[in-house]
Amino acid sequence: MSIAEYDYTIIGAGPAGMAAAITARKHGLKVLVLDEQPTVGGQIFRNIEGLEKYRNSEFHKLGAEYLSGSKLVQQFHNSGVVYLNGRSVWQIDRDLGIHNVSTIPTDQKSSVPQFCKTKNLLIAVGAMERPMPLPGWTLPGVMACTAADVLYKSSGMIPQGKVVLAGSGPLLLLIASRLLDAGVKISAFLDTTPRGALIQALPYLPQALRSFGYLKKGLEMLWKLRTSGIPIYSGIQAIEALGNSKLEEVRFKKGMKHQEVSADLLLLHNGVVPNVQISRQLACEHSWYDVQRYWEPIVDDWGNTSMARTAVAGDCGRVSGAVISEISGHLTALDTVRQLGAITLKERDKLSLTLRQTLKNHQSARPFLDKLFQPTQNLIVPNKEDVLVCRCEEVTVREIRETVRLGFQNPDRLKSMIRCGMGPCQARMCGLTVSEIIADEKQISPEEVGYFKIRSPIKPITIGQLAEND
Amino acid sequence: MFKKQYESHETVTIIFEGKSLDVGIGQTVAAALLGEGHLIFRYTRVSGKPRAAYCLMGVCFECLLEINGQRNQQGCMIPVSDGMKIKRQMPPKGKIQ
Amino acid sequence: MIKENAEVVVVGAGVIGVSLAYGLVKNGAKVILIDKVDNRLTSSRGNFGLVWVQGKGKGMPRYVEWCIEAIEKWPEFAENLETESGFDLNYEKTGGLEICLGEQEHQERVNFIEEMSQESSSGRYDCEMISIKELQGMIPEIKLGKEVRGASFCSYDGCVNPLNLLKAMNSSFQQKGGGYRPEQSVQKIECSSNDFKIETGTHSFNAKKLVLACGLMTTKLASMVGMKVPVIAERGQIIVTESTSRVFNYPTAGIRQNFDGSFMLGTSHESVGYNIETSYEVLQNIAKRAIRILPNLKNLQMIRSWAALRVLTPDKMPVYLESDQYPGAYAITSHSGVSLASLHSSNLVEWILEERIPLGFSAFHPQRFNVQEAI
Repeated sequence: MSIAEYDYTIIGAGPAGMAAAITARKHGLKVLVLDEQPTVGGQIFRNIEGLEKYRNSEFHKLGAEYLSGSKLVQQFHNSGVVYLNGRSVWQIDRDLGIHNVSTIPTDQKSSVPQFCKTKNLLIAVGAMERPMPLPGWTLPGVMACTAADVLYKSSGMIPQGKVVLAGSGPLLLLIASRLLDAGVKISAFLDTTPRGALIQALPYLPQALRSFGYLKKGLEMLWKLRTSGIPIYSGIQAIEALGNSKLEEVRFKKGMKHQEVSADLLLLHNGVVPNVQISRQLACEHSWYDVQRYWEPIVDDWGNTSMARTAVAGDCGRVSGAVISEISGHLTALDTVRQLGAITLKERDKLSLTLRQTLKNHQSARPFLDKLFQPTQNLIVPNKEDVLVCRCEEVTVREIRETVRLGFQNPDRLKSMIRCGMGPCQARMCGLTVSEIIADEKQISPEEVGYFKIRSPIKPITIGQLAEND
Repeated sequence: MFKKQYESHETVTIIFEGKSLDVGIGQTVAAALLGEGHLIFRYTRVSGKPRAAYCLMGVCFECLLEINGQRNQQGCMIPVSDGMKIKRQMPPKGKIQ
Repeated sequence: MIKENAEVVVVGAGVIGVSLAYGLVKNGAKVILIDKVDNRLTSSRGNFGLVWVQGKGKGMPRYVEWCIEAIEKWPEFAENLETESGFDLNYEKTGGLEICLGEQEHQERVNFIEEMSQESSSGRYDCEMISIKELQGMIPEIKLGKEVRGASFCSYDGCVNPLNLLKAMNSSFQQKGGGYRPEQSVQKIECSSNDFKIETGTHSFNAKKLVLACGLMTTKLASMVGMKVPVIAERGQIIVTESTSRVFNYPTAGIRQNFDGSFMLGTSHESVGYNIETSYEVLQNIAKRAIRILPNLKNLQMIRSWAALRVLTPDKMPVYLESDQYPGAYAITSHSGVSLASLHSSNLVEWILEERIPLGFSAFHPQRFNVQEAI
């Protein structure tokens, strides 16, 4: 049986992936798009098609962004791309063989694993929430704030009971705003953005005013929150989730004072970080973006990584939001189109001119936002030593610090000693924290500490599926 | 703790812990269970503590359920289907299937 | 440069280096243990955890005796180490299996066991063939595949958590006053009439005795102190599955179930230089073989995989060598660092500190490789 071959394989059908596919198809490339979800849109445009079709009033409430996203989706579907939904990529070979398997393993029909070859690869898998380890964060009822967004968009569900939001960042404001619009009564908003953050970010404000749209949106959300009547607590330094078998109370520290508030649901947010699982499995080089405390793949101006014929676009490169992700998808694809000989260098540069200008305008707010919402040390490295860092293997801050003191400061060595990072999530939830704790213990930068070696499978695959002939 | 704001255009019957539930088509197992008021999905291998869905986007691997006899299935990634048998995942014991 | 003195400097904190350092410090020596800058090529981290006799030492009865002696000392060694360090080793001496698929494999195993028994001068080699029925009776909760023809069973064999073994010995070593110096690669060794000066990037260590237990770096560093010790790297890949109920209570060379319920599946042998990547073909072959032995494994998810480099001498058996040119410098390399940990932390310590050479030690001299080459 012959193996399918593509010019361009794109992993992820969010704004970056869809844009790249559209541009690549315009120039005649044979394009495959693989996405784990049943429909396109990534996180930002989750279930956009379902919403438009079945919940049109809510679709319109989601605003101009969703409308423009809808246009992108239409272009994507009309582009002639080969789009496979519900596929999880579990391994990418160094020569860009793509191993994927159905996201629904219990579905017998599509459970046969697939393999294809590609000339060029685009990783457009987006971002994830930065883990926010704190006492009690593994209690049922504590969730990442985007979970509320997922439930709303995909299933039309809103939280009921006592809802507390805690953390810092534009996304938290967005979620609060959306919940308010949906009529949810928020019990408390605990803002961990430190006092003085605005002053620190002020130098970047003039530049940010160039893309005033972002700031205006942010100010509007802030205003909505401030005038909603929700108890807002600012400058929060410590948060604890309390309860027996599920969340019952949230305790927080403001200045010297401790307060408790009753809660059924605690939505946490401490920033968004690139999902580097695939780029690391491929051994792309990564650098440390200190302002926002995360690793990003090292790329050139066109998103090409240190691995041949492999590029990234969108939030899995540098977290910048949907609009920039879409533009970066187009730009990255243009260079790939050039690499594959469909256009010349000159043509590429000409075609990208407007995109680059638009990109520059939108990017001007980023330094300000990234600085304003810099993650704080006390929420990156928990003070209390009992806090679970590795949720899968239940490894605490204490265990990590003690093992570093024994002389095991390399993340992989540490992992082999105490199993953090060995569980099903393969360090997605603990990797950043582990590097930060080692860095804190040794008083060096996380960049010097490094990160775990990430290997396949990127997503689990059964032994039976692995053994099956292609 | 989560309630649905609209009526689904179509439903399927899933079986959770032996009880039949009619849930809207097109949603994930995790969402369906949360919508029916089921918060706890599993008990951990290491300490037997209860866990629930955390990120709902396939990153955290907390929403692990036993679906149609298969353990460690991410509830947030799998859409509901008619007749699907779902169980809370307990720490390993007994025979493997 | 930071200067430090010690009685013994051990270079290499893999399972062999740590066993030696641990044993030396227990015998009252002042020891410094150097561990290179971590470049992920550390072999001891990639270990299947077998504490094993069967299958080893074909053609070298002295080695077989050595292995048996090591296993006999293991239970006490493990108990002491657990008490001292507070870490569980999960050592289980259940006996071990090599399961045979098909007639040919089975016959080859029968012949092999027969030859090993004949070679064993002491008669202590104890390995027997067991039937399919007996084998299934030992693992009643999981079905054997149709091609399984039986297995060889050795009562000496068992398994351990090899990562905890490393951790326990290292922490115990430090507890007893040993100096662990991690993230330092040896750059230079200077030999004078009565001591050795070992330089890393940041430190300079002075010691009366130098023990090289540095795995793949052995050839290079041993040559600095007048010893010729050939080692080669051989890659092995492993699949680790999700945790499931404990049903497979005997370790085999290619399949074992860990204490946490996950299955580890191997084995593979590749000469690929210093490459620790996994490959689809090899992982697929491992999966295929595992299913032929235990078909129900097909429903388990692979949640992680890894590859590591074995450190092998030309005949895969240990080298224990003291430098003729620079007495007091030792080179030690062995593929079976886990199984031999009990001896490395006792018998070898006597050899290094008291200069009492164990019986029949000449068998482990690397000059045997030249003899083989000549043939």
